[in-house]
Amino acid sequence: MQQKPILLAPLDPVHDIGLKIMKRSLDDAGFETILLPPDYKAGEIINTAMENDVDTILISRTLGYGVADLLANFVDLAEAAGIRDKVKLAIGGMAVRPELAAELGFDAGFGPGTKPEELLAFIENREYVPDKSNAVKEKSNLTEGYTYQYKHQGMERMLDQIVELIMNWAEGKTSPAVKRAAIREKMLINPVEAENLDLLNQYLEHSDEMVRDFYNDRKIPDKCRPLGQDEIDSLERYVEGTKERMSEQKLQHVKDNPVVFVQYGTGCPFMDIAHIKTSEAWGADGAVHFDPSWGARTEGFLSGYLTHEQDGSIITLENLAQIKKHLQPSTIWQVRAHRGLNTPETVLLAGHLGADMTKINIVYGSLGAGTDPERMTVDAIAAIKYAAKFEMPFDIVTNEELCGVPAHKAFAGMLIVNHLARRLGASPVLQPLFCYSPEMMISGGMDDNYIDFNAAKIMALRQVINAPIWPGAPIGFLTQDEDRVQSSMTTALHASLAASLNVDAISIASSDEAYSGGPIIVPSRIDTLRATKEAFRFFGSAGIQPTVKAEEMASTLVSEIEQVLQNVLDKGCFVQALYDGILGSKEDGAYPGRSGHGTITVE
Amino acid sequence: MSTVFKNVMDAIDIETFLVCSSESEGKELAIRMVKDMGIQDADIVFIQYQGPGARVRVRGYVYKPGASYGWLNNKM
Repeated sequence: MQQKPILLAPLDPVHDIGLKIMKRSLDDAGFETILLPPDYKAGEIINTAMENDVDTILISRTLGYGVADLLANFVDLAEAAGIRDKVKLAIGGMAVRPELAAELGFDAGFGPGTKPEELLAFIENREYVPDKSNAVKEKSNLTEGYTYQYKHQGMERMLDQIVELIMNWAEGKTSPAVKRAAIREKMLINPVEAENLDLLNQYLEHSDEMVRDFYNDRKIPDKCRPLGQDEIDSLERYVEGTKERMSEQKLQHVKDNPVVFVQYGTGCPFMDIAHIKTSEAWGADGAVHFDPSWGARTEGFLSGYLTHEQDGSIITLENLAQIKKHLQPSTIWQVRAHRGLNTPETVLLAGHLGADMTKINIVYGSLGAGTDPERMTVDAIAAIKYAAKFEMPFDIVTNEELCGVPAHKAFAGMLIVNHLARRLGASPVLQPLFCYSPEMMISGGMDDNYIDFNAAKIMALRQVINAPIWPGAPIGFLTQDEDRVQSSMTTALHASLAASLNVDAISIASSDEAYSGGPIIVPSRIDTLRATKEAFRFFGSAGIQPTVKAEEMASTLVSEIEQVLQNVLDKGCFVQALYDGILGSKEDGAYPGRSGHGTITVE
Repeated sequence: MSTVFKNVMDAIDIETFLVCSSESEGKELAIRMVKDMGIQDADIVFIQYQGPGARVRVRGYVYKPGASYGWLNNKM
């Protein structure tokens, strides 16, 4: 422990808050401290140091203009007074950079964000070792504590009937995707190569020509290339090196929620890993895999480490395994299976590799993402069964709202899939959109603010059921433009609204969300992570207050959802309801998909 | 192109305010600035022309997904 006192002096006309905070820490640690008021000249400070026989002087300086000259002068005066060799000099403040302090002859410089522990280490002549215990993150389970009990018994009864219709309709039906998944399931657990070759041939019987050509003739699809072993080895070294230096940040300030997901899919699994590691380091709690749309329209999966020049990273067992391998233990990993011709197998692979979550929605997949409704329904049931088998929760995304489908129809569809999932033993998560809703663009319902309608969605869902809610996807959709500040700001504000409403998770975009000229870059991911963190800090336990309109909108939503469910029941067939536009019509902007049409067979 | 660019994970963004007489002039200047640095794959991410000139964010892609990444082969 220091025997001589420590002098703290603001070399500043007004500001001394930083020094007062540091003084408290030093006093608590048992040091004798002397604090001078602001507006002392350098000479006066040094005289005080000499009079009190201090062995450390801590200077603070807030204003940036001319700071270098001021500090250099201080060191010169200390030398001229003959105390420089006997006294440790340190400078701290908003304008201070450690490198500048060193250049000017100080023993240490402490910039913005300095912790008292760093100063103590300097005083005590020891190396500062950051305490990382607070930054240890634990993986969240979004469904924990939820009962899925209905508060709206009327809707529950209708959903019971609708799900019964679905199960009866689907009885005995299968598709190429369901068959491929069953074959893949055998391949995954069969160690005998010869038998696997046989299984592969069976797999290819249900696959498209592009996939058959890949396996039979090693024909690589356009804009794809296999990654070489040297690249794989380099990646291992790169990630190991990164992990050694990694410390994880927490974005949340006083609350544990919402958990924050980023979305990735650069096209290259190695660039994906680099982006994910960066996002983890900057506080992301989870990462969502985006696959290419052409892959979703192709029957069957390729294999190997494949990179791709366009948006979306190809789903292969090897690509996914590589990504999974390099995640931080606390990162929640989601692989989407909400559209396309490979949904059961996607969930199977994800579950086999230990993914934490998937994404499944019959309605969005068939009305907003191009998959035939009949096909989507059969495949989704199989996918949900795999999700249940692997105890992998999944969110039910309602991105058809972005096509123009009104929220109440999208929510009716979401609740149907939710109920189906519960019947099949799965754990769904509701995913309403936090967006500038096209429905509201037309009606003017969000002209005043972006708060009320988004809040109403959450209120409405909570009036229906006790279930986890994860707004996406991403939040703030259609509010971002290419301006990085604007984009980050609107994301952060939507994140704050989500936190105010105590939802369980959010997906955030990068500040490149509105930029379509090229791939998302990693600094843009950091933009919105930083902005979100700052927003959480700003609001803390306080929040954003919707107006009374939100309650009115919520009530309307609940009534309208109920009506849509009744319309589905009146139709007598969920799949036909999709084709006929009850859950989103052509007038709304929803078009039943055609991919996979006519491929359902009855066994 | 500088060898330091090997450490850029994907792209360099330059954000600045260019004194110019139109948005199109601002775009042209910004793209040329990135190309002068030796990065040929340049694009305007954002530009807003107002008053004396344009606030611009211009991007130069060093590595696009699928390329051979210099930072992957660096011994760090």
